[in-house]
Amino acid sequence: MDLGIDPDQLGTCVQCGLCLSSCPTYRVTGDEAFSPRGRIALMRQVQLHDAPLTAEVTEAFDTCIQCLGCEPACPSVVPYGHFIESTRNALTEHRGSRRRAIALWPLTKPRLLRLGSSLLAVAQRLRLVPARLGLPDRLPLRRRPHQTSGTDVYLFTGCVMDAWQREVHFATQRVLEAAGFGVTPTGDAAGCCGALHTHAGLAAHGERLTENIDAALDPTIPVIVNSAGCGAHLKQHSSHQIFDAQEFLAEHLDRLPDVTPLEVNVAVQDPCHLRHVQRAHLPTRTLLRKFVSLVTELDDEGLCCGAGGAYSVLQPDMSQQVRERKLASINRAQPDVVASANPGCSMHLSAAGVMTEHPMVLVDRALAANSSTT
Amino acid sequence: MTTADDALLADLKRVLGDRVRADSAERALLRRDASVFDGGSAGPTCLCESTEEVQRVVRIALAHGRSVVPRGAGTGLAGGAIPLGAPVIISLSRMNRILEVDTDSRNAWVEPGVVNLDLTKHLTPLGYHFAPDPSSQQVCTIGGNVGNNSGGPHCLAYGVTNAHILAIEVVLADGEIVTLGGLDAEPSGYDLRGVFIGGEGMLGITTKVAVRITPNPPAVRTLLLSFDTPRDAAATVSAVIAAGIVPAAMEVMDQRITIAVENYVNVGYPRDAGAVLLAEVDGLPDGVDIDAQRISDIGREHGATDVRQAASDEERMLLWKGRKTAFGAVAQIAPNYYLHDTVVPRSKLADTLEEVYRIAEEHDLAVVNVFHAGDGNLHPLLLFDGQEPGIYDRVHAAGAKIVEASLAAGGVLSGEHGIGVEKQPYMHQMFSEDDLDHQERLRHAFDPACRSNPGKVIPVGHSCADIQSLRNVPEEVWG
Repeated sequence: MDLGIDPDQLGTCVQCGLCLSSCPTYRVTGDEAFSPRGRIALMRQVQLHDAPLTAEVTEAFDTCIQCLGCEPACPSVVPYGHFIESTRNALTEHRGSRRRAIALWPLTKPRLLRLGSSLLAVAQRLRLVPARLGLPDRLPLRRRPHQTSGTDVYLFTGCVMDAWQREVHFATQRVLEAAGFGVTPTGDAAGCCGALHTHAGLAAHGERLTENIDAALDPTIPVIVNSAGCGAHLKQHSSHQIFDAQEFLAEHLDRLPDVTPLEVNVAVQDPCHLRHVQRAHLPTRTLLRKFVSLVTELDDEGLCCGAGGAYSVLQPDMSQQVRERKLASINRAQPDVVASANPGCSMHLSAAGVMTEHPMVLVDRALAANSSTT
Repeated sequence: MTTADDALLADLKRVLGDRVRADSAERALLRRDASVFDGGSAGPTCLCESTEEVQRVVRIALAHGRSVVPRGAGTGLAGGAIPLGAPVIISLSRMNRILEVDTDSRNAWVEPGVVNLDLTKHLTPLGYHFAPDPSSQQVCTIGGNVGNNSGGPHCLAYGVTNAHILAIEVVLADGEIVTLGGLDAEPSGYDLRGVFIGGEGMLGITTKVAVRITPNPPAVRTLLLSFDTPRDAAATVSAVIAAGIVPAAMEVMDQRITIAVENYVNVGYPRDAGAVLLAEVDGLPDGVDIDAQRISDIGREHGATDVRQAASDEERMLLWKGRKTAFGAVAQIAPNYYLHDTVVPRSKLADTLEEVYRIAEEHDLAVVNVFHAGDGNLHPLLLFDGQEPGIYDRVHAAGAKIVEASLAAGGVLSGEHGIGVEKQPYMHQMFSEDDLDHQERLRHAFDPACRSNPGKVIPVGHSCADIQSLRNVPEEVWG
């Protein structure tokens, strides 16, 4: 079956295996079929040698979290991300895309999404929502509306995050304003970025959603994104100037006031799409060091936490095994709080009892504490 | 699959449940390791989690008349882990616990699936590391290091794996569990531990290892010297050793591979130098400064066009990352590589290198050289596209010539990658019939029925029992 991968590119993997340790699913299974090298070999079998798409082959492809930890580990710079995205698209087409498309449809309808979220929030308060779903502790019942404070930058508000974690957007906006930027939250004018669609093998859907965003926004104004997954997708697919929030603010650190840092030990959890795709995980540290007393590194070299967008729902077993490794690493570091710049990761970790905050929330808190004491 | 396979599988599943895999995808994936050799379809893969499980799997395989092949991360470059004759694969990657670290006695017990670099990272906060550092250390396992007596850049000063292993728990081919060596300074009896290390899985399966841990050096200096030719770099290496300096590592890369590596790590490796020498000295701060200066001076005397010292730990790590990922980086040049691992006397390095370039040209093949210059360990990589008709014949022929040239220079077949199936055909050139007989008898002492990783190392024809224990051996393991 044609997976749509350029055969020349498929040839660039020499099977050296240097990617193995950077692959969370290989780490927990020890099984070649769940490694990047194994998956590429299977892609070759399927595309070049017409090997049958057995249950084991599709399982190998479906269990990839698409964290892309293997890409920076590859000395031959094999574009694994393209391979797996292309494979997922071919698989989705092969198996039929309807179910996935329907499951993701609410993301493109912000009002409906917020209404659904509020209903879910009510259900939570009635204790009707099992904790294992990994939702935030208390979804908001109501949300304050967004306020525009200027047109220096856009704050990309997205879909799920706007419904579930709008407080993070407010915090990000306040920090941007403290640095002297007038902020326009994008709101419903530019909704879902399409990252989850592309992830799920619905690339054409994802593409359309990104085009909507590009059309709705002024291309001369930088777009600040505080969700690592959305930021990574937009950097790859949008024609606008996209910045991760920490990345942008670390560049303008001198514009933020000097304050007394929060007395807190913060471990930084690098979302894969910030570290491996955007390769912009270091600014989080630069920024946090100014605002918290201690920034602690986890000792797992940025291995994925297992959240992976919808992965934790689609592959719960593997997702939890991968998370166990992350939890062990967090336990060794003994932080007060874990900073995670991606809503999916933070929810996935919170569901396992880890205290998480978005880095922008910590910065905002430090700024607020300072203004209340002076 | 045959009924015989079904019965074997049923027995294995009783022990391991769903940690046995025998589907077509898995069998196809385990045909290969990181080498160019294809072992044919693998038998069932057993993802074992304990010594006892390994023992039971070995016994089941034996009862079904099947051989076993141990596998770690599958990063071997000599085909040592390929599955000749559809054997039962015993995967040790899940046995990856660090069991005990004793800094007072400077040793640690680990399982064989522990990744080499993971062990060092675990030891770092304690001020120690595991000294053998093969280039694949970020993924290769301690069990594999033991099986191949692995080297690595820093083995120049610290010695290869053998010098860092105190004791090994082994499941023998009949399922018996023995411990070779011990934690005492001088374990009694013959050094069977030493015999086992480098056995390439043919003497039994490693299930637990006591490693020596090495204190981290107080100071390290890393130099990058640029030269116009690999010959100048090689001459510098010989001169440094002759001057009585024992650097922790001395590694040479030629221009083509340096460019590929720089494309990946971006740390400022010179793209225009004919060769670079990466030299590292460690020890007390004053001493390393003196040695670094002396190496720099010797380099300049031998034509170094530039000498640079890593200014920070980050820079040092990046320089090493470049060197250590060099093999993987060659896909930027061609999709397949065939790598030799011969060792020549240091004084013959420069001549042998020139011979290697000549041989490659004669066979119309691209070649890059990256090598552990300090101990004369060559790693010429022949680069090619496996899709090209007839290419494997040329690669094979050039490889044979390189081996011939190295042996003629007084060298040996393998520095650290092992013999596997790759150098098996050359064993006759290195060893007499008598030598090979003794090697075979040693092997039989551990594994009389030749059930553990058969068909490797000892040349076919020398090992009748091996042939009997192989089923469906592919005619040609190349490609």
